[in-house]
Amino acid sequence: MTVQITRRARTALLTITAITAAAALAACSSSSSTSTSAPASAGGTSATSASGGTYTLWDPYPQYNASSAWWKAVAACGTQAGVTIKHTAYDTTALTTQALLAGQQGKSPDILLIDNPVVSTLASAGILTTTAQNGLSTGTIAQNILGAGVINGKTYGVPIGANTLALYYNPTILKAANVDPASITSWATLTAALAKVKAIGKKGITFSGINTEEGSFQFLPWFWGAGANLTNLNSPQAVAALTLWTTWIKDGYAPNSVIQNTQTTSWQEFQTGDYAFGENGTWQKAGAATMGAKVIPIPSESGGAAPVPTGGEFFTIPVQKDTSTYATSAKIVTCLTSGNSIISTDNTLNYIAPTQSAQQAQVATDASLQSWVNAVGVAKARTGDNLGTKYPIISQQMWTAVQKAESGAAAPSAALAAAQTAAQAGINK
Amino acid sequence: MTTDRSRARSAGRQRDGAAHTAPSRARSAGARWRAQAAAWGFLAPVVLYLAAFYAYPLYRNIDLSIRSYTLASFVTGDAPFAGFANYISIFHSSTFAPALINTTIFVFVSIAFQFAIGLALAVFFYRRFPLSATLRALFLIPWLLPLLVSASTWSWMLNSDSGIVNSFLQAVGAAPIDWLTSPHWSLAAVLIANIWIGIPFNLVIMYSGLQSVSADIFEAASIDGANGWQRFWRITFPLLRPVSAITLLLGFIYTLKVFDIIWIMTRGGPATASTTLAIWSYQLGFGSLLPDFSSAAAVGNVLIIIAVIFALIYIRARNRLETT
Amino acid sequence: MKRRSWWLTALGVLFTAAMLFPVYWMINVSLTQTSNMRKSPPNLIPVDATLQGYSAVIHQQLPYLGTSLMVALGTVVVTLALSAPAGYSLAKLRPKGGGALNFVLLIAQMIPAIVMAMGFYTIYIKLGLLDSVWGLIIADSTIAVPFGVLIFTAFMSRIPDELLQAARIDGAGTMRTFLSVVMPVSRNAVVTVSLFGFLWAWSDFLFANTLDNGAGLQPITLGIYAYIGNNNQQWNAIMATAVVASVPAAVLLVLAQRYVAAGVTAGAVKD
Repeated sequence: MTVQITRRARTALLTITAITAAAALAACSSSSSTSTSAPASAGGTSATSASGGTYTLWDPYPQYNASSAWWKAVAACGTQAGVTIKHTAYDTTALTTQALLAGQQGKSPDILLIDNPVVSTLASAGILTTTAQNGLSTGTIAQNILGAGVINGKTYGVPIGANTLALYYNPTILKAANVDPASITSWATLTAALAKVKAIGKKGITFSGINTEEGSFQFLPWFWGAGANLTNLNSPQAVAALTLWTTWIKDGYAPNSVIQNTQTTSWQEFQTGDYAFGENGTWQKAGAATMGAKVIPIPSESGGAAPVPTGGEFFTIPVQKDTSTYATSAKIVTCLTSGNSIISTDNTLNYIAPTQSAQQAQVATDASLQSWVNAVGVAKARTGDNLGTKYPIISQQMWTAVQKAESGAAAPSAALAAAQTAAQAGINK
Repeated sequence: MTTDRSRARSAGRQRDGAAHTAPSRARSAGARWRAQAAAWGFLAPVVLYLAAFYAYPLYRNIDLSIRSYTLASFVTGDAPFAGFANYISIFHSSTFAPALINTTIFVFVSIAFQFAIGLALAVFFYRRFPLSATLRALFLIPWLLPLLVSASTWSWMLNSDSGIVNSFLQAVGAAPIDWLTSPHWSLAAVLIANIWIGIPFNLVIMYSGLQSVSADIFEAASIDGANGWQRFWRITFPLLRPVSAITLLLGFIYTLKVFDIIWIMTRGGPATASTTLAIWSYQLGFGSLLPDFSSAAAVGNVLIIIAVIFALIYIRARNRLETT
Repeated sequence: MKRRSWWLTALGVLFTAAMLFPVYWMINVSLTQTSNMRKSPPNLIPVDATLQGYSAVIHQQLPYLGTSLMVALGTVVVTLALSAPAGYSLAKLRPKGGGALNFVLLIAQMIPAIVMAMGFYTIYIKLGLLDSVWGLIIADSTIAVPFGVLIFTAFMSRIPDELLQAARIDGAGTMRTFLSVVMPVSRNAVVTVSLFGFLWAWSDFLFANTLDNGAGLQPITLGIYAYIGNNNQQWNAIMATAVVASVPAAVLLVLAQRYVAAGVTAGAVKD
C-alpha cells in the first residue's frame, strides 16, 4: 500500500522531470548541463553572456563551504565565464572512485580537481582530456610541478599549486640540546642531533609511516635522498633509507606510533612540544608559526637537500559527450589559475604557486615562504620519470615494506626484496 | 522459529481439526489458489525490492569478477571474459592465506565473545533491579555512534604512546603494548573494538529471547528447588537455542562483512597482520591509487560463498535438530 | 532482598561504566585542545578544555542532524512497510517456496556493503536518485529489511491461529486481519525492527559517502567530513559532532526501550 503509492509517485515524478529536462535542453541550445542531480537547472536565464547553464566542479577540499574564500573564487570565475558552477567537495580518498564511476556512467564533472598522483590513473582510464583537446595553456608553469600531469608527452591537467615536505624543528629543544639547526645537512648529522635530544630527555623525530600513500609520500625524501630509484625498490640505497627509519625506531629516536601516524597525527605529536623534529608539509606552516617552529630542508644521505615529492592537486577537464563545453571549462580553469587569483587561492590552501612570478609575489608578502619555494624548486613528481600508473603499484609495495620493517615483522632488506618482486609482478600483470 | 511455528500450527490444527475438516475440504482448490495469491501478494514488495536492490549489485559484482577489467575498460564497459582467472590469481596471491586465517580468527573469536557477553548481560539485566532498564538502554549507546567515530576513539585509546590503555597498563606495572602497530597485537586490537561494538546487538536479541521464555517455567523450576545456575543451563539455555542459533548465524554473517573498524584502526596493517578478506577486497578496489576492481570483486564473492556455505550448514543442522 | 537488588545495581553501574568508557573518552577528546591531542600520557579529564569543537558543531552541523533524522525515520517507514507484510506471509500464510525466499533473504545480508554501494551508484544514476534523501532511505533500508523480515516472521509465527480464525469468522479478509489483528499484537516486533532500522540508518556512512556526497541535504555522518580536510583533521570537532549526533538517538533509544518492556507486560501473547 504505502510502498506502491511511493513507487507510483516516483515514476510520475521521473516522467515529469524527464520532460522538463528535455524541454530545457531544447530551449537553451548552447547550454550544457552535466549536473548529477535530476532536474537540469533551467538554463538561459543567467545575467551575463550568451551561453548560460550549469557547470560542475568537483574538488577534494571538504573543509571548505559556500562561505569560504575558495568557493567564492570559483563562483566568481564561473560568473566571469557566463555560467553557474555547481561546486561539490569530496573526501580526497573517495574522489578517485567517484570520478571513475561518474566517467563510466557518462556523468563526469566539467572540472575535476584531483590529487596529482591520481592524474595518470584517470588518464589511463581514458576519462581526462589533454591540453590539445581542451585548450588549456601550460605556459609558465614550472616543469617539475607540471610533471605529474604529463604522461607520454601529453599534458592532462594544470596544477593548482604545490606543496612538499620539510623538516620542522622546535628551536627551544634544539637550543637546550646544544644543536645548531644549520649544521644538519646529512643523515649522520641528523642522527647525531637526535641522540643529543634524547640525552636531554626529549623525543627525537616524528613522521608518518602509515600504510597509505601518505606513508610513501613521507618516505620518499629519504628514499630519494639515499640515491634510490622507484624502479628498483631492492637497491642497497633503498635498504639504507629504510634502515635509517628502523634504526631510529629501535634506538628510541622515533616513536612506535609512526607506524600508524597520518601526517596529521604526526603533526599533533609535534605540537605537544616534546619533539625536536617533525617531518611535515607546507600546509602546517600556519600552525608552525603559532608554536614558533622553524624549517630546514630534509637532508640527503651524504649532504645537501634531499629531493622531495610534490603534493598538491591538478585541475583536469574530464571527457564529455558535448565537446563544446571544453572551451568554457578551460576558461574557468584559466581564470582560477591566472594572475592574482592563483596567488590568493594558494595562500588560502597554504600551497606554493606553480609559476615563478606568482611565487615571487607570495614571497613578497610572506618572507617565510622562501624556504618552501626553495623546497618546491627541487621537488619532483611521484609519477614522474615516466612511471605513470606504475607508481601506485610500486608505492603500495613500498609502504608495505616500510610497515613490515618498522613493526619488526621483517628485516629491511627482506621486506624490500619482497616488495620489489611483488611490484614487478603487479606491473607485468 | 520454525519449531515454534510448526508447534503452533499443529496445536491449532488439533484444536480446530474436528469442527472444520468438512468445510475446508469443500473450499480446497479455489481457496488454496487464493490463499497462495494472498501470501505472495504480501511478499511481492519484498521480492521486487530484492530483485532491484540486491540482485543487481550481486550481478554486477559477479560480472566484475569474471572479466578482466582495467581502468579503461571499467569506464567503457567492454572487458574481455576471463573465466576464473581472477579467482585463481587471488588464490595464488601472498595475501590470500593471511587474509583467510585472520578472517577465521576474527569471526570466530568475535562472535564467541560477543554472544557470551551479550547473553551474560541479558541474563544479568533480566532480574529487575533498580535502574536495570535505564542501564540496559545505556548499553546500546555504542551502537549509535558512527563507526568512524567508534573506531577512531578506539584508535586513540590504543595508541602506543598517547593512548589511555597503555597509560593504565603502565600505572598497574605492566609493560605497554603496541596495540595497533605490532604484527602480533593488531588483530587483537581490532577484535577488542569489534567485540565492544557487537555486544549491544547480542544483548538486545538475547534479552528479547529471554522475555519470550514463559515466566511460569522459571517459577516451576525454582519451586522444584533448582538453583540459579542449574535453572539457567538446564532450562533457560536449551529454550534459547533457536534464538541463539539465529543470533550466532547473523553474527557470523555480519562479522564476515566487517570492514570499517579494521580499516580505520589499522587499515589491515602492519603489512597483512590484521587484513581480513573484507579488508583485502576493499584494498584492491579502493585502497591504492590504482583500483583493481576485478580482483576486489573476486575476493568479495569468495566472502559471499563462505557465508553461503555456513548458512547451508546452519540450515542442515537446524533441520536435523527438528527431526530428532 | 533489598540489599541484593542494590548490590546488583552497583554491579550494573560498574559494567555500564566499563562499557561506556570509550564514549567518555570520545567526550574527553571533543573537549581537548588541538595541541594536547597527542599528549603522552593523555589527560584523564579534559584539563585546559576548549569548546571550539562544539561551537563549530552548533554553527555548522544542525542541518545535517535534520537530514539524518529524515533519513532514519524514512528508513524505518520503508523497512516496516516492506518487512511486516512479508513476515506475516512467511509466518502465517504458508506461501509455496517460502523457505527458498528465507534463504534468499539470508544471502542478501551476506553481500558486502561496498558491493551494494557500487551497484546502487549505477542504478541511482539511471533513476536520478543520487544526492537525494529518498535514495539514501532506500539504500539504508537494504541494511534493515532482511533482518526485519526475520524478526517479524519469528514474532508473528507465535501468534495463535485462534486469533486469526476468529477474525476470519468475523468476515475479515487477509489484509484486514493483518492490519487490525496481527499488527497491533506485533507491537514488540515493530519497536524492535524500528529501533534497529533507525540506528543502522543513523550511523550509516558508506552509502551516504558513495551516493549522497554531492550538494544538498547530507546526513551527519558526512557532516563530520567538514572537519576532515585533504591535509588536516580537526579531531575535537569530529568528536563533538559525534557527541551531539548521539544525543537525539540516545533519547529515542531510552524511550523505545521502555516501550518494549511495556509491550511485553501489557499485551503479552500467552501460549
